[in-house]
Amino acid sequence: MEALLNLLLKWPIVETYFQTYSWAWPLNEIVHFTGLILLIGTVGIYDLRLLGMAKDIPVASLQRLLPWGVFGFTITTITGLLFTTGVYANIQIPPGTVLVYDGYLQLKLVFYFLAGFNLIAFYRSGMSREAEALGPGAEASSRVKTFAGVSLVCWIAVMYFGRLVVWGQLSG
Amino acid sequence: MEFLSFFENSSLAIWLRESPSVLAYPTLLAFHTFGMAFLVGTSSAVALRLLGIASDVPLAPLRKFFPVMQIAFAVSLISGLLLLMLDAVLFLTMPVFYIKLLAIVGALTILRFLRVRVFSVPAPSEEPVLAGAMLLCWMIAITAGRVTAYAPFIGWQSGLAVLILVCVLLTGRYVVLRSSAAKTSA
Repeated sequence: MEALLNLLLKWPIVETYFQTYSWAWPLNEIVHFTGLILLIGTVGIYDLRLLGMAKDIPVASLQRLLPWGVFGFTITTITGLLFTTGVYANIQIPPGTVLVYDGYLQLKLVFYFLAGFNLIAFYRSGMSREAEALGPGAEASSRVKTFAGVSLVCWIAVMYFGRLVVWGQLSG
Repeated sequence: MEFLSFFENSSLAIWLRESPSVLAYPTLLAFHTFGMAFLVGTSSAVALRLLGIASDVPLAPLRKFFPVMQIAFAVSLISGLLLLMLDAVLFLTMPVFYIKLLAIVGALTILRFLRVRVFSVPAPSEEPVLAGAMLLCWMIAITAGRVTAYAPFIGWQSGLAVLILVCVLLTGRYVVLRSSAAKTSA
């Protein structure tokens, strides 16, 4: 498993990029943070509205902000993959080994995919259309509120365990 | 300096710095991240609205999100002061740390102005220039904050790299929007 992950995720070209340019790792971190901020800002406002905050805002109007959340999600995912595929340049441990032994990274990924499945459920179950129809002052149904709550909790958990990744057990 | 060492050597500082528990230093850093995410995230989303994105969103009810920003600011400030206490001498002798603080003061001043002049009056002007200036302040604060972990030279290089990246992205967006506008009119 570890060997397979190392084969798939250890990318010499990314390692060389991080090794050659001392600004590359901090730049990647700054872009990762910027994406996180766009994601939490737009999706956070959307979820909080569904949970009942600022109910005078029609939900459909907030949907125009969501492409910025998708943009944030995309750049955090890309920079996250760059950290992973180039991690050897930073800590001299290959990515497969980090993935197999770092419990915090695993938890981060669990909540990342949980947020993804939650979102798929939101769009596949008709909840997204239900949410879009909520005009000024309208209260979301309890299943839509559950979706919004799960979404917020998942993203907060992704940030928490993401911050802990560097303290994961790597001695194994 | 004597005065700063007093904080650095307090028992709280020693526990936060030396405890192997993940609830000590790592969780403190995570709270600084939560505060940043919700303060900068929510206020940036509001700034995007003032810049004309999602212009259907009514301005007045967005005011309800300011308490979220205030709580997030309190979390950032408290966690930030504790983090500062752990390494007071290091941070307070670092020029880039003062750039971070100035940028935060700039962004918060604009945010306060927006709350009073845009979100608390009927039929306000949307102040897109101030909204853009706040986004710029946040970008400087995030960049300066992140590079405090690196040697000064690497910090300046990273700052330049961020500047180039932002210019490329903004130019790209301008070109795409202009060409799509030209297609619509043609």
